[in-house]
Amino acid sequence: MIPLLFAFLLAPPPEFSARAREIIQHHARPASLETASYGTIAAKLWLKQDPEWCSRRLVEILKAGPSGDMFWMFPVTAVAYTGRGQLSAEAQQALRDAWRTYMPFRGDTENHWLLYYTSIYLMAQMWPDEPGEAWFNGKSSAENFKESEEWIHWWVDMTTRRGQGEYDCTHYIGVFLLPMSYLAEWADDPQMRKKARMMMDYIIADYAAEQIDGIYAGSHARTDDRQVVEKWAGVSSDFGWLLFGLGYHTPGYGGYPLYYALASSYEPPEILQRIARDRPDGVLHKETKRTRHRWRFHEERNGDVYKTTYLRHDYVVGSDQGGLLQPVQQHSWDVTWRVADPRGVHNTLFTLHPYSGLLELQAYFTFPPDSATEVVYRSKKSYDSPDKLLGGSPYEQLFQDRDTVIALYDIAPGARFPHINGFFSKDLSMIVEDPSGWIFARGGDAWIAYRPLAPWSWKPIEGGGRRLFSPHLKNGAIVQVASARDYNSLEAFRAAVTRLPLEFRLEPTPSVRFRTLRGTEMICTYGAPRDFSSWKLFDGPFLQAERGSRMLELRHGSMRRVLDFATLTVRDE
Amino acid sequence: MLLLLLASAASAQTRHNLHACVVNAKSWVVGAKLASSGLIRFDQSQSFEQLGFVHPMILAADYDRRDPSVLYLAAGNGLIRATDGGRKWRITTGWEVTELRDVTVDPNTPGTVYFSHTEGIRKTTDGGNTWQPADTGIREKYCETLQTDRTRAGRVIAGCVNGVFLTEDGGASWRRTGAEGIQVRRVVQSPHQPEQWLAGTQVAGLLRSTDGGRTWEAAGDVAVERTLYDIAYDPTQPGRIALGGWSTGVMVSEDNGKTWERRSQGLPRWDIWSLAFDPGRSGRLYANVHEEALFVSEDAGRSWRKVGLDGAFIYRLHFFPEAAQ
Repeated sequence: MIPLLFAFLLAPPPEFSARAREIIQHHARPASLETASYGTIAAKLWLKQDPEWCSRRLVEILKAGPSGDMFWMFPVTAVAYTGRGQLSAEAQQALRDAWRTYMPFRGDTENHWLLYYTSIYLMAQMWPDEPGEAWFNGKSSAENFKESEEWIHWWVDMTTRRGQGEYDCTHYIGVFLLPMSYLAEWADDPQMRKKARMMMDYIIADYAAEQIDGIYAGSHARTDDRQVVEKWAGVSSDFGWLLFGLGYHTPGYGGYPLYYALASSYEPPEILQRIARDRPDGVLHKETKRTRHRWRFHEERNGDVYKTTYLRHDYVVGSDQGGLLQPVQQHSWDVTWRVADPRGVHNTLFTLHPYSGLLELQAYFTFPPDSATEVVYRSKKSYDSPDKLLGGSPYEQLFQDRDTVIALYDIAPGARFPHINGFFSKDLSMIVEDPSGWIFARGGDAWIAYRPLAPWSWKPIEGGGRRLFSPHLKNGAIVQVASARDYNSLEAFRAAVTRLPLEFRLEPTPSVRFRTLRGTEMICTYGAPRDFSSWKLFDGPFLQAERGSRMLELRHGSMRRVLDFATLTVRDE
Repeated sequence: MLLLLLASAASAQTRHNLHACVVNAKSWVVGAKLASSGLIRFDQSQSFEQLGFVHPMILAADYDRRDPSVLYLAAGNGLIRATDGGRKWRITTGWEVTELRDVTVDPNTPGTVYFSHTEGIRKTTDGGNTWQPADTGIREKYCETLQTDRTRAGRVIAGCVNGVFLTEDGGASWRRTGAEGIQVRRVVQSPHQPEQWLAGTQVAGLLRSTDGGRTWEAAGDVAVERTLYDIAYDPTQPGRIALGGWSTGVMVSEDNGKTWERRSQGLPRWDIWSLAFDPGRSGRLYANVHEEALFVSEDAGRSWRKVGLDGAFIYRLHFFPEAAQ
């Protein structure tokens, strides 16, 4: 028994196709068929199992009335395509009627729109030559197809020139991969299929270059209250497992990987496998993204986001430049350390100013001012909490040099929450509050030194860990990380850090001069002009792209893959 | 003159029905199941009818003066032309615009409609078949509200994120005429004195123009530091105006805005989204209270009773002629 268990534990992960099939089979066998939804129907149809039950169940669900907007559209599109040649006439008619009698809301984010337009594109393709009366929006099949196609092209063009808007999302990565998977498999137009396959390479490459054992690290446009501290717990880990066999999938494998697998089940090429699995110790990766659409208070609808991620074997340090770059769920910077099994582990450290206010909500949303916070609170419970650990702030500016981050805060008087929160995980060990003012700790095999710049105190966090609470408007922190391989004891690390030259002031504006363990002198002043003019779209040993280029070059060793969206060509070397 | 009098008399006799642009928002976020929402008509028999699809974001409506059974809806998914009294919908815009804020028909120019959206203003001259941008001169494009001047073709006033704007050439050019630095949420023309306009703002209270929108001034200190969401003139009673906003309750003036009285007795809270006077019954005033219900007063706000639409957030209340059925 023990040798068998040992052999099981050492067994390599199943191959990609086996992993994809495992997901589909899981969804085809729900705990109860009586409450089964579109995912189960689509999975069973893909497996060619029980089309009669699938048809009956589909009719039942649709009769109860569609809901969910674009989150209804993409599952039923999958049912429609996996069910070709299998669904009963009654089920097909019910499906057809639903697209005439139910009007989904198009939503207010790019992920909503991508789901919405991909679904309409494919359904208009399935039911061509139909008049406006056959569709909920009164547009003919041809009109719907054309509009959807145009927007999808716009999104690809914008993304490959300016960067993704909802970039590097731990959850929504699935919502961007899913439509590409659909189009790569189900679009009739070979150009669209090719473009979608290239975009999958693009999005997967972006993820592969910034993950550690499948955990999406660094700064994110969007994450959530759980995954911001338990870095593993989300869709990105499901894709890390599916695409590369890395890490652990979540219980139930997540919903989006199912639909990804049901459609093209695209297996990343060898070069992406290598980028994800094989990299040296110490990779500096930079990239440019863009903000979500800002309707008010900004000259440009989409501003630039400048990301830096530094990856070592034992940890990753990542940040953006700070500021309000995304609404509500922005995660601006962190240290993520590697652990053997990340499930249940809070393997991260970061700080933030818990901003909540109309400057953010009215820039990104159209809500009336007086109920805006309440509306956000309904789905994002932490938004208006002073204790929150999620969200960007207009009063935060970040500076990074490899494994050093300096976070400066100049919070406006009258701001709703006039303090900063630092997340100190329950899974940190060897925490020492040094007389020098530094706090030292160990996370996995990473040494972490944290220097608060203003007085602070500890507050407990529900679920474990402590919150560093610093109620000062002029504020900041310096974080220096190193590997346990570089310093063989906490004392050695402590001695090295405390020797580093450090000068700072908080008045009139926070400013720091610090020499890092790598010898870089960082001079950072809140509000001082910063030059990002040389920043590329992707700039690292594995990914290279110029801004505006509509190209991405993947590199690993002597391997090259160039994705050229201008000519819609892929060149492998 | 006789013809004019006859036309006026006929107009006075035209029956109107209340149309509410509603979302039952208490539990709604994108993707959630939505109760009856969108365009809801409250007819003379005092019953509600959902017109067209359930939709979470119908913010405003207007009707075609040539054929009142044709409505234009400013919606989340675009500009909807709703025929058959609002029951049959077609989205007339594409992916270029989203989350429309307001819509207004130019009664003097058949087929001309304007809408405001997150990135400016668009215009059609063919009843919504084609749309063109019409916001030159408005630098910060987000415009929450707009209304055509019913007395002169091509005159439109828009309330935007940074001020009130006026065009006198059908949207070809705009100029800011007031409220610089102020977000404007509602502009309304007086039915009695067409040169008088009121604008409700976010934080800056009520603004008034007495020269057709060319200049604006603060209209006293009513609701300063609050957001005013709606303004309603009583078409049957010159001088009577109602205001509603956040924490304001319903404020009513009987002297054309010189003095205001809070008339919120019977309302469950003072957060008001929308207001409308019934053109067919003097003193009847409808108000939506934030996620409570639609309320009605038969005495210009002095007392209130609940009508229905429990839990609703009503963006806008409109009275349209009976033919709009």
